[in-house]
Amino acid sequence: MRIRRPWKIVGALAGAAMVTGAILVWKERTSWHRWTAPDFLIEAGEYADPAEAAYLSDVKPILAARCYKCHGAVRSEGGLRVDSVAAMLRGGDSGPAIVAGNPDESPLIAAVRHADWVSPMPKDGDPLTESQIGGLADWVKSGAIGPQNERPDDPAAAHWAFRPAVEPTLPSLETARKYANPIDLFVAAARQEKGLRPAEPAPKELQLRRVYLDLVGLPPTQAEIDAFLDDESSQAYERVVDRLLDNPQYGVRWGRHWLDVWRYKEHDGRKSEKQTWSSSEHIWVWRDWVVRSLNRDKGYDRMILEMLAGDELAPNDPDALAATGFIVRNWDRHDRNVWIDQVVEHTSKAFLGLHLNCARCHDHKFDPISQVAYYGLRACFEPHDVKTESLALGRARETLPVTFVSDVHLDAKTRVFHRGDYDSPIDNIKVVPGVPEVIRGSGLLIRPVRTRDGGSSTGRRLALARWMVDPANPLTARVAVNHVWMRHFGAPLVETVTDFGLAGSPPSHPKLLDWLAVNFRRSGWSLKWLHRQILTSQTYRMRSCSPEADAANAEIDPDNRCLWRMNTRRMEGEIVRDSMLYLADALDQSIGGEPLDHELAETTNRRSVYYRYSQEDKPQLLEVFDAAEVNECYRRHVSIVPQQSLALCNGSFAWRQAARISTRLSRDAETDDRFVLHAFRCVTGRCPSETETTLCLGFLNEQRELFSHGEILPASGADGGEPPWAASDAEAAARTWLVHALLNHNDFVTIR
Amino acid sequence: MAVNGLALCDRREFLRWSAAGMATVCGAYGGARAAGATDEPHDAFQEGNLPCVRAARADAVIWLCMLGGVSHLESFDPKPALNKYAGKTFSATPFDVLNQRFTNKNIDNMGSKEGPKHESHILPLQVGFQKQGESGIEVSDWWPCVGRRIDDIAVVRSLWTTDFQHSAQAQFHTGRPVRMSRPPSVGAWVRYAAGSRSSRLPGFIVLGQPPSDFGGGRTAHEASYLGPSYAGVRLSSSPTSALPFSPPDSRLYAQAQRNEFELLRQMNTLTAQGEPNDSSRKARSRAYELAYSMQESYPRVLDMSDETPETQQLYGLDEPVTEPFGRQCLVARRLVEQGVRFIQIYHGGNPNNDNGDWDAHQNVRENHGRMCPRVDKPIAGLLQDLKRRGMLERTLVVWGSEFGRAPNVDFRTPCGGPDFSKRMGRDHHVFGFSCWFAGGGVKGGVVHGRTDELGFHAVEDRHYVTDVHATIYHLLGLPHDRMKIEGRQRLPDDLGTPIHGILA
Repeated sequence: MRIRRPWKIVGALAGAAMVTGAILVWKERTSWHRWTAPDFLIEAGEYADPAEAAYLSDVKPILAARCYKCHGAVRSEGGLRVDSVAAMLRGGDSGPAIVAGNPDESPLIAAVRHADWVSPMPKDGDPLTESQIGGLADWVKSGAIGPQNERPDDPAAAHWAFRPAVEPTLPSLETARKYANPIDLFVAAARQEKGLRPAEPAPKELQLRRVYLDLVGLPPTQAEIDAFLDDESSQAYERVVDRLLDNPQYGVRWGRHWLDVWRYKEHDGRKSEKQTWSSSEHIWVWRDWVVRSLNRDKGYDRMILEMLAGDELAPNDPDALAATGFIVRNWDRHDRNVWIDQVVEHTSKAFLGLHLNCARCHDHKFDPISQVAYYGLRACFEPHDVKTESLALGRARETLPVTFVSDVHLDAKTRVFHRGDYDSPIDNIKVVPGVPEVIRGSGLLIRPVRTRDGGSSTGRRLALARWMVDPANPLTARVAVNHVWMRHFGAPLVETVTDFGLAGSPPSHPKLLDWLAVNFRRSGWSLKWLHRQILTSQTYRMRSCSPEADAANAEIDPDNRCLWRMNTRRMEGEIVRDSMLYLADALDQSIGGEPLDHELAETTNRRSVYYRYSQEDKPQLLEVFDAAEVNECYRRHVSIVPQQSLALCNGSFAWRQAARISTRLSRDAETDDRFVLHAFRCVTGRCPSETETTLCLGFLNEQRELFSHGEILPASGADGGEPPWAASDAEAAARTWLVHALLNHNDFVTIR
Repeated sequence: MAVNGLALCDRREFLRWSAAGMATVCGAYGGARAAGATDEPHDAFQEGNLPCVRAARADAVIWLCMLGGVSHLESFDPKPALNKYAGKTFSATPFDVLNQRFTNKNIDNMGSKEGPKHESHILPLQVGFQKQGESGIEVSDWWPCVGRRIDDIAVVRSLWTTDFQHSAQAQFHTGRPVRMSRPPSVGAWVRYAAGSRSSRLPGFIVLGQPPSDFGGGRTAHEASYLGPSYAGVRLSSSPTSALPFSPPDSRLYAQAQRNEFELLRQMNTLTAQGEPNDSSRKARSRAYELAYSMQESYPRVLDMSDETPETQQLYGLDEPVTEPFGRQCLVARRLVEQGVRFIQIYHGGNPNNDNGDWDAHQNVRENHGRMCPRVDKPIAGLLQDLKRRGMLERTLVVWGSEFGRAPNVDFRTPCGGPDFSKRMGRDHHVFGFSCWFAGGGVKGGVVHGRTDELGFHAVEDRHYVTDVHATIYHLLGLPHDRMKIEGRQRLPDDLGTPIHGILA
């Protein structure tokens, strides 16, 4: 029997009625245990011995699916591993697990049989089936023979995300000529495998609105729509993408995305006593650094270096110091342990996609990260503290107070806390700065560096940051690519955006992810390269709905995991607010500066990112539309609740913008017909259908009729003037109501 | 394949199985999922996806939370020993409360730099108490009206928590100190798992001022990883500002808006034809319907003109002291009538006092003497009103506070000067405190659990705060140990255990 590839075994197993159960078990368990291309199968080569073959076909797969989780490389409960024959013969704390030739004396067999002299196994899920138990027992009876030189399984070493990303070869497809962009090739290959038909390209005007809202968070103007529709050249769309990437509003829009990931939060504490308890009053300087860095297309690697160790990397560059706001944000007046542990937790979630924090109290349950390894990473941050100094920042060299990080407690010792309890340090474990073994890559090269005031800094954070952006680190680029992808498509490639470990979900398109990660790094970690690559793909430009293809495709892939169409998304609160202001020609597009009071977001016109944002204080309109949770928001929730409807249908902000938009559009729309057309295009970015036009014209008449009726007098506005919904001119009132209705239309808040 | 085996599998998987003829989707809701439910519980909690559904004893929950820390000693757990040992330090009593097995590091918070820790003298009871009702349960004289309803109440005297700061407010609602995490609140879990019975109002409504950030903020009614649609919807009980973004009071506006919604409905129907699978469009249309009906239905809930003067007086609406909380309690009853599942009322939340107004560091008599009359009559009125309408049987009322107050005099707050004998306040106390339940499936007139002689440690039938949550889930017919979702770990302490001793 010659077995070369794992799937052959699966095939062979499927053929045998007796082991169907095992297949079911596999299927059931894939959610937590991915049995990734097991080395032992590939390397085993030829098996002359039937017992050996039986081990590989009937025994090992069952053990892998049902037992390795607790008795494998990651955890070996009771000191027992069952991932090799040798390990089973050797056994654990209570002796050998199997006795060759004697199943009745073998504790492992007894356990799966639920005999009363051992604990029944497996502990979770259904018991093994009769035939599975029979297979195990027969194999033990026949002498428990396994392949020579069997290597115990190491799921971690085999785990996709812990292996370096290498550039995959492009799939060869018959239709390859259609696709110039590798993204499309990978996506098409995955689609083909499932027999999915791609949706057609979205109408040009929808593509334009989509890419505008995605990149700058503002819809295109009518003139921009017209110009694009008229531009027949082949590169028209690509030119739009380039222009938008050059627009400084790109940094504002994507700044907010990255501030979600990096947990931007303004200072808060005890207001009644004017005390700051966490973050810093000057944290907004870091927010401006983020926007500026994105607009300059600073390499993502450089951004990580500056955020984690700007003070060690470039101690005399105020901009680099401001970048350490990423760490400053975690400052906590009351508990240094909480503060440092937050830094460790979120550095690891944001950049590495690892839940390292699980290992704060105990060894990680799924990933091979020991508790000591957690404290090794913590040791990198142990010496730091925050400082505030006046520095000359930015191009204008304006002098501002900046809170930044520097190593102050050079002798601070990191101690392992028993079960994570800060009151129970374990003193006999020596902690050295380090990174988890499994993704060690280049390891940490720690060299002390000189600080701005001539002192010394440990260089640990810089070493950590360098290790993160080293090409040998398998995670950093993949995690970043996933974040960007998710924000363009409304769904990530790896569903668990902060967990690329063994408990995370596998990528929907592994090769695509790796191709993007490798080339992102090669581009000099250029986020603009990444955006351009994604946005110019045909995948991105597909329709979000395609009634003809829908039925068949939806049957196969209802969640659109394979990307047979574009996903529809809802605007974030910032985009809802900023777009209304922009359409009203009222948006103040200036960039940077101290945060404005959050309540002013109702009545003033800056972009939303410039209003106070703390746990307690956020602009109400943003909050209603699922604003980022300041404590952790790697991915925004999208809710649909009545308060959103109330905010748009009754809120004075929406009314004011509706009136402004209507006045602006009325200037060159004499007739109702033209007004309906303009209003529709302005608000939804598309032309109305004939029926829609008819409905809107009817509505205009109704409202005009209503408001020219002198009998019911409107209440006066808050400021004593007429409220925006009740202009004394019935014509104007009716038109404002139409624009207002369109702002409440599903197609306004939806990015299709 | 048994339906039970599918308990935790994903909904779509479930439907695929059922499509294959291996199981059938059971459309009817049982237990808490009463017939006519409109906002369905989350898929995972629908009939057929649950391993077992107990018969629900309650349909709705009214959750009353006093922010700042109510003294258990001067409310529902009076301790005459405090009078006996007044003026003595703990170590001068026969009770070695500082060295019990329940003592933990929080004990360090019980002193201050100016004095030996925890060694301030015991403060006598600041108010009298007496046996109430037929059950003869002792209740302090600051709670006379609730005391008279004691035969409908099950008092739990043995709660404990861990967060010594006011962020215990969030912990009381989520089971975790905010520094560790901010998991979904008890109300959000209920909304998630039991759905809502009202088509015209949200299923989880919050009244009153929530905790400050210091107290954990809105975490106490948020839904965290369940998604914001399960979070409590904070509404005002003031008829003049019923809703956020409420419509202007104008017939013209109402008429014009009716036209607008009709236009929107028609246009959305048109676009629906092009996007048959867009579920968010459907959900948004429903949100607009709910918003539209809330504009009408919620102000009607707040309009008390159809309540008799006698009822209004029962809740204390005729007195300025009791009016604010009385109104919230009456609104809560009216919301239950409208089918709202979970109504959470905060008392003592104050934007200018991070701690919550019940925080009696300086003078218990002054503080509680002022605070109790604001809520005592309204709460008793609520219980009485629910009972006489036959609603108490199916409505669970829960009263609590984030922690209790210490038996000894507050050391940390140097109010009253250096002379300790003048200090009259009590500090926070996490080792033992009280809450109570009434209605919906709990016994009346019983006491469960016990603190030690000084009211320091809960020593009998100890309950962590999540046991309060588990009791609620249990009474709503929900499996308390299944209140979790895939990918989010919840430990046994997070899930709690129902307090079986008080179940009727």
